Amino acid sequence: MAKITETRVSMPEQPIEYRIKNFDEVPLGYTKEQAIQEAKRCIQCENPSCIKHCPVHVDTKRFIKLLAEGNLKEAFLKIKEDCPIPAITGRVCPQENQCEGACILGKKGNPINIGRLAAFLADWAMKNGIKEEFTIKDKSQKVAVIGSGPAGISCAVDLRKNGYKVTMFEALHKAGGVLQYGIPNFRLPKNIVDKELSYLKEIGVEIRLNTIIGQNIPFDELQKEYDAIFIGTGAGAPIFLGIEGEQLNRLYSANEFLIRINLMKAYNFPEYDTPIIVGDKVAVIGAGNVAMDAARCARRLGAEVFILYRRTKEYSPARKEELRHALEEGVNFMELVAPTRILGQNGWVKGIELIRMKLGEHDKSGRPRPEKIEDSKFVMDLDTVIVALGTRPNRLFLSRAPNLKTGRRGEITTDEHLRTNIKGVTAGGDAVSGGATVIEALGNGRKAAKTLHNYLLSEILNFQKISKRNKK
Amino acid sequence: MKYEITYKQNLNSDDYLLEVRAPLVTKRLRVGQFVVLLIHSKGERIPLSVLKAEDDKITLVIEKLGKTSRELNTYKIGDTLEAVIGPLGNPIDIKKYGNVVFASDLVCGHAENYAASKALQEVDGNHVISIQTFPTKKSVYLEKELRSVSDEYYITTMDGSYGINGHYLNVLEQLLKKGKVDMVFAGGDMQSLKKLSKLTKLYNVPAMVTLRPIMVDATGMCGSCRVFIDGEMKLACIDGPMFDAHKVNFDEVINAMGRFKKKEGEATKYYRRKGR
Repeated sequence: MAKITETRVSMPEQPIEYRIKNFDEVPLGYTKEQAIQEAKRCIQCENPSCIKHCPVHVDTKRFIKLLAEGNLKEAFLKIKEDCPIPAITGRVCPQENQCEGACILGKKGNPINIGRLAAFLADWAMKNGIKEEFTIKDKSQKVAVIGSGPAGISCAVDLRKNGYKVTMFEALHKAGGVLQYGIPNFRLPKNIVDKELSYLKEIGVEIRLNTIIGQNIPFDELQKEYDAIFIGTGAGAPIFLGIEGEQLNRLYSANEFLIRINLMKAYNFPEYDTPIIVGDKVAVIGAGNVAMDAARCARRLGAEVFILYRRTKEYSPARKEELRHALEEGVNFMELVAPTRILGQNGWVKGIELIRMKLGEHDKSGRPRPEKIEDSKFVMDLDTVIVALGTRPNRLFLSRAPNLKTGRRGEITTDEHLRTNIKGVTAGGDAVSGGATVIEALGNGRKAAKTLHNYLLSEILNFQKISKRNKK
Repeated sequence: MKYEITYKQNLNSDDYLLEVRAPLVTKRLRVGQFVVLLIHSKGERIPLSVLKAEDDKITLVIEKLGKTSRELNTYKIGDTLEAVIGPLGNPIDIKKYGNVVFASDLVCGHAENYAASKALQEVDGNHVISIQTFPTKKSVYLEKELRSVSDEYYITTMDGSYGINGHYLNVLEQLLKKGKVDMVFAGGDMQSLKKLSKLTKLYNVPAMVTLRPIMVDATGMCGSCRVFIDGEMKLACIDGPMFDAHKVNFDEVINAMGRFKKKEGEATKYYRRKGR
């Protein structure tokens, strides 16, 4: 056996002082030589747990072997068998909790950089026009996919490959859902998103932009017009703090801040028409991926940025790489504080009142519960607040689909096969989970596609039975 | 989808009328709902009230106020827009109110006034009183159209050059004094709506007003249009755009509407210098 290189082939990145002045991707990507070198580190475990820990079970072992052998095309096609958008997942998956977290080499702190290998292959395939080759046998049945985010994308691809006529509905003027409006360009370049989506069109998925189900087309009409439906409407509604001062100017939900920047390109104002105002000193409330995204955007717009978190850094739910990048870029991390009031002057944010927290007993999430320290309130002067406490399913669609069973926070209720209470209607992604990762949404989309495929097959069988009976 | 401009007309030196093909919008649009316009791929998403929807076309009235409305004014018949999204928001509850007033003093308000008066007049038992306010005689439009869809019509100008001298609030106060009003709707300038809220409260007459704070997606995602109704946070895009005037905190709405003023100035300046 060849000698295993202990350390990862390091990923070249934009220098810090340079990248905080632009919105271009931070990692520059492996060269072919670097990728092969990194792939060669894989010891090809007999019983690889990386595959098990991938929500869509990409055959990591196999694709890495093919890559190590220099067989780029086969390696790429291997990934595509399980993941329709590897250029995206390779960049945004929390690999440290999934494939890379399970990598045996990780025990010594140097797991294979699986995410970036996948991204390398996908980028290489895009550049060289390499595509999967398959034939689609068209069926007459029609499926509607509501939402063009990761869950919708994977569901649409799988159903289309099975021959169904798939129409995807998107409320916004660009397809991609959270990939488009939520994740900043420096983490996921929008030309990559656009290219991955053009694949859908190539295989014959119809994408209808600017179409809001429930407003443009009533949900019950959609049910009549289509044989089956997948709901992947995401969790696009912001959660606010519910404390005094949230009406003030220069307080944003992370959603508004990121939509202005990512979808509307406010960082290119006035070339683009949508503005954004960031003051000199910004507080981001929360410490998840969205908080990191918002904080890093604010840095790039020239502000001094503080992440305010009620626990400590080690309990941040953000991807490790995002946290590292944010800190490298000069984002300050304030631990063990929670906001109690937003202070204003003449209608604009001028400060925030915080209370100090301490870590208590471990809660159900396995993390210590943050507890308030009495009489520890203090005020921090600043001029911008971004609330990144998470999101919940959008009320707009749900209010127009009253028959759909939902949970307390508006999450659509499904069974293990992602079937909703309405026949022929499945749901998945954040609309069901309330907020998870891109790859989990992808996994959901695939699962729902399988459920709908089985459902549509059985519908045909039933139909044939009934027709036969009627003939007799 | 091609959102083609099929008709355009100047209404006065500030406002113009625009007819756009948007079949998916017209099919479902109900009175009181609004649309979002994106003029090109670098544009902003702006919410607009709809004057009317016929066949596959919607008609909007637009004020040359900011960069987008100025640029859009350079578009010609046959040009296409990037997107027209809607219907958005909730429709007005069209039912029997009795003596019902609709008052307006700005573009979007006039559009809402026409659409709502027309629909309200079609309900048996409604006596629709429509009031329009313009700065001066030269700026008047939709007068004939509104007269034809209301039972009682008043027009006022701020300089007294046409119709009644003053603001719709003066007319409304007279009507309220006479005890002639059961319900008030209004759209347009926020300061006027704030005064209208006080006035109708004084006479104990219910009032619904259109709020149009700054929106981005206008589908409930960003929270940019959050308003506080009786202290509770609502989103104008999906909970509105009309709210009970007596419960709105107008000062907060007005404050939030001005938050990008400096940027709007920059955008206009940039546009004037560089064009597109």
